[in-house]
Amino acid sequence: MSRDPENNMALAENLVTYGRSRGASEIEVSIRVTSEFSASVREQNVERLTEAEAKDLGIRIFVEGKAAAAASQDFAPTTLHRIVDNAITRARLGGVDSLAGLPDLEPVGISAGTLKIYDPAVLELSPESKIAAAMKIEAVGLADKRINKSSGASFSSVAGMRYLANSKGFSGSYRWTSVSGSVNFQAGEGDDFQEDGWVESSTAAAGLPEPEAIARIAVQRVARLIGARKVENQNVPVVLEPYMTANLILFFLTQCLAGANIDRGQSFLLDKLGFKIGSGLMTIYNDGLMPGGLGTSLFDAEGVPARKTLVMDHGVLKSFLLNTYYGRKLKMASTGNGGEPGNFHLAKGVSKPADIIKLVDKGLLLTGMGALGQDPTTGDISTGVSGLWIEKGEVVFPVAGVTVSGNLGNVLRGVEMVGDDLQFNDNIVGPTIKVAQMTIGGKGTARGGEGR
Amino acid sequence: MRKIERREFIKLAGTGAGAILASGLFHDRLLAGELPPAGASLWDDRFGVSREVMAEVLRSALSKGGDFADLFFEYKILVNVTMEDDIIRQSSESVIRGVGIRVLKGRQTGFGYTSSLIPESMNRAALTAAAIASSGVKVRPPDIRERRPDKQVYLLEKLFTDAPLEDRLALVKEAYSATLAYDKRIVKAIVRLNDEMQYVTIVNSEGLMISDARPQVRLYVTAIAQEGQGRSTGNSSAAGRVGYTFFRRPGSTPKETGQKAAQEAIALLTAVNPAVGEQPVVLGGGAGVMIHEAVGHPLEGEGIWRKTSIVWDKFGQMVANPAVTIYEDATLPELRGSLNIDDEGTPTRRTMMIEKGKLAGFLLDRLSAGILGLEPNGHGRRDSYRSFPLCRMTNTILAKGEASPEDILKTVKKGFYAVAYEGGVVGSNGQFTFSVHLGYLIEDGRLTRPVKNATLIGANLQVLKDIELVGNDQHGDYFKGVCLRGGQSAAVTGVTPTFKIRQMTIGGRL
Repeated sequence: MSRDPENNMALAENLVTYGRSRGASEIEVSIRVTSEFSASVREQNVERLTEAEAKDLGIRIFVEGKAAAAASQDFAPTTLHRIVDNAITRARLGGVDSLAGLPDLEPVGISAGTLKIYDPAVLELSPESKIAAAMKIEAVGLADKRINKSSGASFSSVAGMRYLANSKGFSGSYRWTSVSGSVNFQAGEGDDFQEDGWVESSTAAAGLPEPEAIARIAVQRVARLIGARKVENQNVPVVLEPYMTANLILFFLTQCLAGANIDRGQSFLLDKLGFKIGSGLMTIYNDGLMPGGLGTSLFDAEGVPARKTLVMDHGVLKSFLLNTYYGRKLKMASTGNGGEPGNFHLAKGVSKPADIIKLVDKGLLLTGMGALGQDPTTGDISTGVSGLWIEKGEVVFPVAGVTVSGNLGNVLRGVEMVGDDLQFNDNIVGPTIKVAQMTIGGKGTARGGEGR
Repeated sequence: MRKIERREFIKLAGTGAGAILASGLFHDRLLAGELPPAGASLWDDRFGVSREVMAEVLRSALSKGGDFADLFFEYKILVNVTMEDDIIRQSSESVIRGVGIRVLKGRQTGFGYTSSLIPESMNRAALTAAAIASSGVKVRPPDIRERRPDKQVYLLEKLFTDAPLEDRLALVKEAYSATLAYDKRIVKAIVRLNDEMQYVTIVNSEGLMISDARPQVRLYVTAIAQEGQGRSTGNSSAAGRVGYTFFRRPGSTPKETGQKAAQEAIALLTAVNPAVGEQPVVLGGGAGVMIHEAVGHPLEGEGIWRKTSIVWDKFGQMVANPAVTIYEDATLPELRGSLNIDDEGTPTRRTMMIEKGKLAGFLLDRLSAGILGLEPNGHGRRDSYRSFPLCRMTNTILAKGEASPEDILKTVKKGFYAVAYEGGVVGSNGQFTFSVHLGYLIEDGRLTRPVKNATLIGANLQVLKDIELVGNDQHGDYFKGVCLRGGQSAAVTGVTPTFKIRQMTIGGRL
């Protein structure tokens, strides 16, 4: 993709000028162009190929403290002018919010190149090589006797460009790339089977693990679940694999830290800033600038430069995740999180994952879950899971069909060990951790409950 | 950039839908009760693409030896209004426009899309999709003949499209006031109105051309309650493929919607944690999420012909208690999942899935039906023109039974009664989970204390056999959801009477 063959930057700037001329006090225009390619294979046949270029435009308008937004995939000037005019009309019908508006202009202090989120090699990957990679990922798994079915492998690449201009004089753009390979397998007997898989992503073509490596992880993840069964209802220590730390703890935590939820009182952390809410082993960063990171960007959705934020320092809550509006509302600065979090991660600890398991007398190693049952208002977590049962420091059998429940506040305080196995293969990541106690729901007549 | 979700799931909140700002002849005709007019207008107005160009693009799509090609033209306008902190905080309008071009070759799909509707862009996308095949053949452009949908299942009276923004604001304010007025412990209300109008034209290499105009509206209320240190959130929505008059009907007024959210938040203030483990479960109205996960997803065509779904080899077998009959029905009027035609142009119809306990049918699009040697039955749906069709649910119904809800409760000495549902998820092996935001303890056949945040887990083949009693109270409240699968979302509903499951495992606190 050349830098700006369609003059998108100029288009955005011109639309800003148009909006101002029509009565907008402030206006922001963003354009996103992405080209995607994806190949899906199953049982060593190509099942689906998708290739396309998408272009999207977004507008935010403020008329004397009244906000409106618009979006379009239709770039005809008449359409773009109409949606700006409509937005101004709608804004006038809204209510005045003195805090609503664009961020003050803050220069982006670095060049996009230093972020290393654009790799020209991704664009040079041929369709044939991408199909071959998907085929290879699947073939390695199918060759393993424990695997009896493939649910398909895929390989995809995306190259994108973002442009943002606003009436406070911001004008910026950057490009990015990503590649990912994934596969899912089934293993087991008859109706008693398990399905699991793995996906790896990277901003650089060379950053993606070899197909064999992706396949091996997927095979191991599903093969270890063969014959999984339920366990009794009980409270036990729970060890979370890195992927589970990311999904169960950190993904939920980003919701509880989001400015909107804090402001609306929909977070159990709303009055916890500066307080110790987690184990001293927990230090969490949101790093929007990490070179090559999948959550790295030059600036956020509002044009606020990305930054690295210390979110939790040895258990003490240091920062929420804020955009400009909720920053103003909560009398804090934006953390450059208008949009997605950056690279949100729990810093690695010193323990070897194998040593963490060895220190569990009886407990669950959590390896898979359904992403559900979370209430940021209370911090309650409850979800269906799969995993491996640990007794006397050894994995003894696989577990499925059970629930794990707890409260994020207790879980954060109950982190007893943090692994040294942190990998930045997603935008929200963490190492293996051990949580002192969570509740397993499985076999046995219901008991407990009550309490708040 | 989250990791690919490996399982299918459904959620309550969500994106949704809105009303339209465009107006014109087409709308007048719809309002007069007419189906999309033959010949000229819709695509010429909406898409500006002639029949000749469409035929030419289809020829390009098949130029490398594909068996079948189709074009999915879409124009959609979504409007969203949000009220919070006593003001209209935000409104937005989104325009979605483009064409998706698909080529089938055997079991293979080639797919491309473009938002530019000039012939050069469409031909380029067509050639990209064509590359799934590689033989290089000369094909004739199809002779395109237009058909109309054979029914009209949307409420096209007083569309939001034609209503001024002030009407929407009035609706939102009404819900907002009713929520706050319900109880002084309600400290905050957030009201969102999403309205959407989607126009589609589907043209294929067999010469079919068919169009549909689909409204989709949702009023969504969130109420936050506080008492002392305790806080809770309640949600409620009124939704459907409807116009403005829907919100004047008893049961779906803004006032009732707001009150319902407030009522849920208040009940949750005193809610306790669920008991942990196996217990009898009675699911009240809105439990559509359970049959959506346990029955709907496993019967989607792809999992059947790929033999990856646990039920792929169970057609004709007794898989549930004979009291259980479950079907899909996109032809029901005005529901979120209702459709005149699916996104491949196939007329929708009622599809039996489980008939008196026996597995009786699958959800099929053209590709899956072709591979299985069956007829497509109107379940090919797409998130947008940027998505290829997948076999999807629409409105999933558990047929009502004989038992009265009171009698069902009386059979439970100690158990769990579910009232307000969140989302669910299912794996290909039929293991499913769903969450209940608000429930009640059942003690000696009566509902006692409210219970919060319960997650229920089960294996579908077991749970379907464990459905002991099905109530006779159909069509009260129902599940109004957004189903996510393979990165595509679809508006769906799940309609169930009260029913009892012998036991399920519930996650909670010990």
